[in-house]
Amino acid sequence: MARQRRLRSIRVCAAIWLALCAGVEARWLPTHDVKVRVEHTEMGGPRIAVEYELKDPNISPESPAYVFLRYSKDLGDNWQLVPMDALQGNGFDIVERPGRKEVFWWGTDQTVTTDPEQIEVRVRAIAMARAPSGRFVMKALPGGGRDESRKTGPDTNLPLYYMAKYETTVAMYADYLNEVGGEGAGWNQRMARADRCGIIQESNHTYSVAPGREDYPVTYVSWYDAMGFLRWCGLRLPTEAEWEKALRGGLYLDGDEAKARPNPRPERRYPWGDEAPDEGGVYRCNFDGEDDGFERLAPVGSFGKFASPYGICDLAGNVAEWTLDWYSTSYHVGLDGFRTVRGGSWMAVPEGCDAVTGATQLPLQESSIMGFRGVQSPATAP
Amino acid sequence: MGTLNRRAFLRSSFGTVGALALWPSARALGANDKIVMGVMGLGGRGTYLAEKFAERPDVEVAYLCDPNTRRFARAREAVEEAQDRSPKMVQDFRRMLDDKSVDVLINATPDHWHAMASILACQAGKDVFVEKPLAHNIWEGRKMVEAARKYQRVIQVGMQSRSAPYAHKARDYIRAGKLGEVYLVRVYNMMQHPKQREAPDGPVPDGFDYELWCGPAPKRPYNPSRQWLNQFDYSCGPIAGDAVHQFDLARFLVGDPLYPSAVSQTGAIRSLRDGRDMPDTQMALFEYDGLTMTLDASLWTPYMKKIPASIRDSDRFPDWPFCSTKVEVLGTQGFMVFGRHGGGWQAYDGNSELVHSEFGRQGDKEHQDNFIDCIRSRKRPTSDVEIGHLSVLPFHIANISYRVGNQRLQFDPATESFTNCDEANQYLKRQYRPGWAIPESV
Repeated sequence: MARQRRLRSIRVCAAIWLALCAGVEARWLPTHDVKVRVEHTEMGGPRIAVEYELKDPNISPESPAYVFLRYSKDLGDNWQLVPMDALQGNGFDIVERPGRKEVFWWGTDQTVTTDPEQIEVRVRAIAMARAPSGRFVMKALPGGGRDESRKTGPDTNLPLYYMAKYETTVAMYADYLNEVGGEGAGWNQRMARADRCGIIQESNHTYSVAPGREDYPVTYVSWYDAMGFLRWCGLRLPTEAEWEKALRGGLYLDGDEAKARPNPRPERRYPWGDEAPDEGGVYRCNFDGEDDGFERLAPVGSFGKFASPYGICDLAGNVAEWTLDWYSTSYHVGLDGFRTVRGGSWMAVPEGCDAVTGATQLPLQESSIMGFRGVQSPATAP
Repeated sequence: MGTLNRRAFLRSSFGTVGALALWPSARALGANDKIVMGVMGLGGRGTYLAEKFAERPDVEVAYLCDPNTRRFARAREAVEEAQDRSPKMVQDFRRMLDDKSVDVLINATPDHWHAMASILACQAGKDVFVEKPLAHNIWEGRKMVEAARKYQRVIQVGMQSRSAPYAHKARDYIRAGKLGEVYLVRVYNMMQHPKQREAPDGPVPDGFDYELWCGPAPKRPYNPSRQWLNQFDYSCGPIAGDAVHQFDLARFLVGDPLYPSAVSQTGAIRSLRDGRDMPDTQMALFEYDGLTMTLDASLWTPYMKKIPASIRDSDRFPDWPFCSTKVEVLGTQGFMVFGRHGGGWQAYDGNSELVHSEFGRQGDKEHQDNFIDCIRSRKRPTSDVEIGHLSVLPFHIANISYRVGNQRLQFDPATESFTNCDEANQYLKRQYRPGWAIPESV
């Protein structure tokens, strides 16, 4: 039994969705050959060693994986995030290279349970993009205003952060629900609509995904639902500034420290440049109508050729995205707690998919045109 | 201009734009027919109304309209979710008026569009739900009343507090004489607004028909930071626009007095010196026959709170001293404090003893029900257009007083004009851009 516990296998989301335009693993980044064991060290007490392999050859410093571990000490009834500061090794948080990874979790006998062999561990990974520290041109005024008249925007300066390359998918969110949503928290009936979301609540409080919906962006998520998922991952929502910088790129695409790669179009209107989403009969994102190939939502990454300078997909169109920012230009401030949503959606007119379009929403709002993606906070960047 | 017909109005007011069919008559509604609506103005309020009406089984929202196409998605999504059917999306509201199958215009535009769109809708045989404040100015409010009567249209104004059952109980309480003779009513509107941001004028964003958005108002250079609510050209002001809810309630509570004979007012821009031309501080005194009503209003008082969501639909009362949207009714034998937004009311006797408490709920649902009922019955709605006119008119007078140096203005109800200040009379009506005028005879 003990050996079986030490070699307990963990859940891995291995399916890979191949995008129309490129090979894109749009759900969890696959982790392979995961092994978990308890090691008893001479000086430091027991530690849990987790080994796994990241095979995706596209993982790089510019396009890393965000890897987080979750554990249960009660046979899978309850799961919690493993604190990053309890870990050592080369395979947690921002991981910049593919290959065999090893992670050591120290101190579980002091902080979690006196019997570390009771602990189960799950490993998940998300494809991220690196936004180096430095200035960028911000034209949308945080809080809902916008100022397209600016020829040169303020030198807004942001520290390093990482943003998910893809909007959070139905499959990822269903996985989250299956771990934490037993009482129904985070799920609502409208999510069952297979044409706009596709997460079905089964009778035993588990969740399944409507066939074929795995790689579509999750919708009908309130701001609180989005925050719940991201806290579960150890991530957070982007600020409006981070969202806009992710779309345009900084003044230097390798950051203000290196300054070797000037952004050719730092004031671009769309992730790909200034061309309208449908200019010249080329469809660059998922907006209103079906001319772009999608009557409603599109699988994430479907327009990978038209990603942002950092390689982030679908900032234009598909789903508008929750941000961390309050809406602060209204007399509602402090009363109703509006939050700001950025970007266009599959219902938006083409010009509404640009860098400055935003909307205000009550955080309880659940909508088929709103989703989210995560950001790794600079404060915890390695 | 002589008697207006739609063809002439379209030509005179809107150039060559718009269909030139004769005005359709109102569609004969069967008892089981859905009422078909078009919603004009897709900001927060318009989207809310579109969603709420679309949720009703007896309504179909067939059109959503805004000159800014970037506003389409959010409203369309809300309506599709509510009624499981896609509305048509248009920039120009005249497309809705041209459609004979449309019964109702929901007008949730900025103030400067309330009158023109509502009058055109009446002429097109549509009933109207128009957001408060009823009109941009006194003259336009009167024209809206005239249009509703002439074309026998229902116009419900979005002053939903008047439909809340707890307000009716309060009115009955006062009517029963439990406060004695009421001689003074104080209305409060103490808010906290941010300053407008400063930005240079700039190009009009793609997908935004700015010419149409301006419509009957002056077409200033586009500025992304200008807030229409803070400019006389487009608005009655943030104070009037919100305080009209409480003032309408106050009028309702004391039996709907008609016109003030005089209005004294002191107003100023004290705190929000950000390019606005409307006061951020106003105290006004409205002299009615046998009754004085007052307004205390500000935009820079953060400790004064609108009734929070947790109280609005609960058995709780707001913290009255810091309630920013309350009405105080003072009688010879008792005192009542009343909260908007379902805040409830409490009454005190001559010994300052609490003698009655009534919790409240908001009246949105009842207000919408009443509108639908009146569309079918052809009765006048709870917040009929004339009520809307008389509830905002005192604020128009106060604003005009501000514009003529805080003078006390005497008002003649028969002519709806001032008797002691010619300068003030120039603000009864606004100047229209060529091609966008509302004619004398609607």
